[in-house]
Amino acid sequence: MQWLDRFFEGRTRSLAQRTSRRSLLAGLGQIVTGAALLPLLPIDRSQRAEAAPPKAETDDPTACEYWKYCAIDGFLCSCCGGSSSSCPPGTQMSPITWIGTCHNPADGRDYIVSYNDCCGKTSCGNCNCNRNEREKPMYRLSLNNDVNWCMANTNVNYHCSTSVVLGVSEK
Amino acid sequence: MPKVVMMRNARGKLGFCRRVASRALVGTGLLVAAAGTVHGAVPPPLPEEHLTVAKLPAPTPHWIWVFDDAINNEIDMRLHLYDGDTHRTLGQIDLGYWPMVALSPDGKTFAAATTYFSRGNKGTRTDVVEFTDTTSLETKHEVALPPKRIMSVQTFFSLSFSSDGHLLYVPYVTPAASFGVVDAQKNTLVGEIDTAGCVLAIPGGPNRVSSICENGKLLTVTLDATGHEVSRATSDTFFDVDKDPIFAQGVPSAGSVTFVSFDGMVHEVDPTGAKASFRTPWSLTDGAEKGVWRPGGVQIAAIHAQLGRLYVQMHKAGQEAHKDGGTEIWAFDTKTHKRVGRWPLGSPKLTPVIAVQVSQDPQPLLFAATATGQVAIYDALTGKLRHIEKQIGQTPWLMFNP
Repeated sequence: MQWLDRFFEGRTRSLAQRTSRRSLLAGLGQIVTGAALLPLLPIDRSQRAEAAPPKAETDDPTACEYWKYCAIDGFLCSCCGGSSSSCPPGTQMSPITWIGTCHNPADGRDYIVSYNDCCGKTSCGNCNCNRNEREKPMYRLSLNNDVNWCMANTNVNYHCSTSVVLGVSEK
Repeated sequence: MPKVVMMRNARGKLGFCRRVASRALVGTGLLVAAAGTVHGAVPPPLPEEHLTVAKLPAPTPHWIWVFDDAINNEIDMRLHLYDGDTHRTLGQIDLGYWPMVALSPDGKTFAAATTYFSRGNKGTRTDVVEFTDTTSLETKHEVALPPKRIMSVQTFFSLSFSSDGHLLYVPYVTPAASFGVVDAQKNTLVGEIDTAGCVLAIPGGPNRVSSICENGKLLTVTLDATGHEVSRATSDTFFDVDKDPIFAQGVPSAGSVTFVSFDGMVHEVDPTGAKASFRTPWSLTDGAEKGVWRPGGVQIAAIHAQLGRLYVQMHKAGQEAHKDGGTEIWAFDTKTHKRVGRWPLGSPKLTPVIAVQVSQDPQPLLFAATATGQVAIYDALTGKLRHIEKQIGQTPWLMFNP
């Protein structure tokens, strides 16, 4: 099903670059809802897992204040053997996720980020971080960081959370 | 041979006990000899002890059930039972991986929709609802579930009983939303009801369930006596999801449910009709406080039904800090909507308050659980701090009255 993953990834990134944040989120919400019918990878970022995040001299991806973590809730994978955009060894990426918009002070741009959980091992326990910019309660599921986004994994154990840049948010 | 050396552990091994006891006796003997020299008389030996299993005494309104998310080891979440008068922990219910819990209306049973793996954190997954007797703290029976229940930060509607206790509603999110219906008397899974993207299960009387929708409405499903859908209706919009969303942690009280919004609006909901209805919303803040002070935390409010008191933890922060704990607790009269108490935490030792609960008796206690696992106990009438329990679990995020 990699073609389907690439299809969704391409659509998501294209959408992020062409549309406003609200309309993008509405679209992503529909994608997440659709995931129930298609329990595959609605927003797969496996092709981007190794990509380096935009650099800023003062950025520390093991610090909760790191710009990409503006709506993260959980243990930072950067402190658990992974990075802000990669899962620790031996874990599995969550195929579904929640979405945020974070401001990068280094370049002055807003970025759409997805907060994929890493699954299959018990709680990492390091660098617990809870930030909630534009986060919404679970009735708006695609913007919620309270639910276990490992819910669709074979092993639903939550281990840690990443923050992966999807693209620039155009206002 | 002195009797103390005869102590044996469960495996019948005497060696370790003997060595420890011998050393203890030598040490004790020296102390006793010294004491005897100074004071003259040697005190009699301590009486024998017999190991027993404690039984819970009769419950009081000042007991509190503290749900611990056990964030550093989530396959092992718990409920702690604590006495707000004696400041003692009374017992524990084990809950498994990321459970959702509900107390039956008669207070006799805790239900936990939970997940186990055959090899600790891996292996075959089993989802069940476990029913635990609140007097013995023993799990009595269970009902198997499909592997689709919601795993989220706890609310009173993540698992809920009908008002008469005969049905149990189990919200599912896969991320498609629905809920399962369990007959809690026959111990059977009745079926599943689709909720068209709306989440959670807010009971309204013996046969109605409402779910919160993404558009700020409530979907109410009416069931027959066996738990099957008869009809459904969608309410009017009662809050703005984009501008001022409500916390999902509503407070059920005397048949109604009270939700508080990020900006401090109070939405009182009647979920008992075929279509949910609402009272006129009112604000926790006015004047210079408006848009400056906001509610913050997880269990965001508590209500004393008889006194008509609403308690909310507040902080001076923006909407984006809606899950940061409160630095003050505000009390309101639910009829006049006037603030009747404003209580700063009152102790520099306390971290921000994540959860509040109030006992339902005439001399109520207000329990405030903090970000670091403390539980502070206040006089709910005056706001006077009575006690700080330094640690109950790791992450006490929801408290239940007995």
